[in-house]
Amino acid sequence: MVIMIKVDNVTKTYGKGENLFTALYKVSLEIPTASTNAIVGKSGSGKSTLMHIMSGLDHPSSGEVIIDGKALGEFKPKQMDAFRAEEMSFIFQAFFIEANQTCYQNVMLPLEIARVPKRDRAKKVKAALTAVGLEDKIDSLANNLSGGQKQRLAIARAIVNKPKIIFADEPTGNLDSATGEMIIKLLFDLNKKLKCTLVVVTHDPEIAEHCKNKIEMKDGEIISTTGIKHKRLGK
Amino acid sequence: MSIRDIIRRSGRSIKSAKGRTILTALAIAVGTFALTLTLAASNGATAFVNKIIKDNFDPSELFVAADESLFGQGNTTKPREYDPSFGTSTTNAGASRQIKRITQEDIDKIKKVDGVESVREQIAVSARYITREGEKKYVATVAAYNPAQKPEFLAGNVNDFEGKKIILPEGYLQDLGFDSAQDAIGKNVEIVVPKTLTAEELRAQLLKGTLPTNADQLAQATDNNSEAIQFNIAAVSKKPITSQPGTELYIYTPGDEAKALNDITTQGTANYQKYNFVLVKVAGGTDDNKLKATQQKLKDLGFQVRSVEETQEFLTNIIGVLQGIVAGFGFIAIIASVFGIINTMYISVLQRTREIGLMKALGMRKRDIGRLFRFEAGWIGFLGGAIGSLAAIVLGSLLNPWITKQLDLGAGNNLLIFKPIQVAGLVLALIIISVLAGWLPSRKAAKLDPIEALRTE
Repeated sequence: MVIMIKVDNVTKTYGKGENLFTALYKVSLEIPTASTNAIVGKSGSGKSTLMHIMSGLDHPSSGEVIIDGKALGEFKPKQMDAFRAEEMSFIFQAFFIEANQTCYQNVMLPLEIARVPKRDRAKKVKAALTAVGLEDKIDSLANNLSGGQKQRLAIARAIVNKPKIIFADEPTGNLDSATGEMIIKLLFDLNKKLKCTLVVVTHDPEIAEHCKNKIEMKDGEIISTTGIKHKRLGK
Repeated sequence: MSIRDIIRRSGRSIKSAKGRTILTALAIAVGTFALTLTLAASNGATAFVNKIIKDNFDPSELFVAADESLFGQGNTTKPREYDPSFGTSTTNAGASRQIKRITQEDIDKIKKVDGVESVREQIAVSARYITREGEKKYVATVAAYNPAQKPEFLAGNVNDFEGKKIILPEGYLQDLGFDSAQDAIGKNVEIVVPKTLTAEELRAQLLKGTLPTNADQLAQATDNNSEAIQFNIAAVSKKPITSQPGTELYIYTPGDEAKALNDITTQGTANYQKYNFVLVKVAGGTDDNKLKATQQKLKDLGFQVRSVEETQEFLTNIIGVLQGIVAGFGFIAIIASVFGIINTMYISVLQRTREIGLMKALGMRKRDIGRLFRFEAGWIGFLGGAIGSLAAIVLGSLLNPWITKQLDLGAGNNLLIFKPIQVAGLVLALIIISVLAGWLPSRKAAKLDPIEALRTE
């Protein structure tokens, strides 16, 4: 089993002295390549902080994150940006798509950031939109899409540059259950097809059930896992 | 992200905030409008001055004088030593002054200078009057005709302009009783010039007994002594649009004739065959370097020398000051609008916090995020510059015929001349200023924490 993300003894604290707040405490975790993973827990359990640290958006106070064999702590900001642009992508609860731009322009963004040559772009955008079933909306404004379509657009944007890891933060939080289920199904289909590692942060137990691995968090620590091993060091 | 992609994306976000963008751009447009018109007026005024020069002077000629005060220089607060070899005159203010003039000896010296092609005296003789049989007498000035001048003729020509011939300005036609310009051609007029009584003439009159014995009458007779000369009208000149002020009614006669008239009026005085200015034609003088070389040589001989360009400097200086004032207001308007841009860009950054967060999460570099907003500011500058300069060009082009008519500039002369390269330069400068104005807001965007920006709660 090849490991895509290795979290090694990561602690994250905010503030100082009396105001010191420990968001993550000695978390260690190994996520296999091309697997589906759910990080569950109540709000404040540290699941979002863990995702931010795994994606390099935030830095651990101590410990290390190794992705695809590379230690994120050793990257300079410029390298970290390039790494994120090429290897990862995100899906958010609130979609974060540009309402005034067309679907095409929205999906184009990661390709522009990753400096994909111009001649390859249109083809990739079309393929991504086709994969989420929005090929006929390519020139529509994102504003005119329904909620489910907006999230599908966000997924197209997430997969357009063939990332190795997709982080999804409450991807169905803003959707009704039927649409949410459709989105989840789409995510899992794409995971199989594209062989990318999927990390879903959610408090919805149903989504977690669909995932092969489940990581449950509470008060900044992993309290249980299914499917994968973790070390619990305790306070 | 490549620069091209950034420029395109920033242009797109400008489009999605049209109202805000247009209002900010309009502030810049006001300043641009003023500056574009100032530049155009500057071009027009310069072109007009150049046209005056071209129509009145030969640019390969140099003005040479012996006295620095003729070029408005020299110390006027210090008394000057009297020199009996030159006459005295009065200034416009009535002050007595003595002007060192160019003598025949000087002219010979100048002629020998390297590069000098020819020398002609600048002569304008104050005649007592011009008249014609049965008509009244009118004040007149007779000047030497300069072949470089190209006056427009209503009738006649200067193909065979020699001897006692004149070019009569249009203004005299009616007063001298001519029906038309054509009517005047070939007719004679009488020009009467003052003449000093020479010792010989005095002696002759004394012998004949015609000399008044009363001292007052004697003085009057000497003062009023004149000589009348008949001149033939060779051509009638149109009232020039671009003549030097004060020379509109000059009656031109061939150089030799003007010199002869001048000799008559100055004979027996200290100013006989002495001239305020001579015009020195430089061989190949259209070449600025040759002109300057000869100018320096003449200066080394102790003469006061000005090129045509230099004599017209005061005109360009006045124009320059006026333009400076208008341009200053334009700059103030642009500086004021810079704060508008900063404000607008801060709002833009605030509005797009999440977009910035997303782009950062997707791996967009700090530098590129900063650029995205600086270029957005640049777009505003471009729009403002384009709107302002276009409005100025449209308005200026519409107003040009009217201005020309009001200021009597003559057909084909425009006060406002727009040069594409200047307008392009102005717009480019505005883009750069705007990009600089977007610096602080863009830094705020670049420094934004993506986690904070993407927090949905």
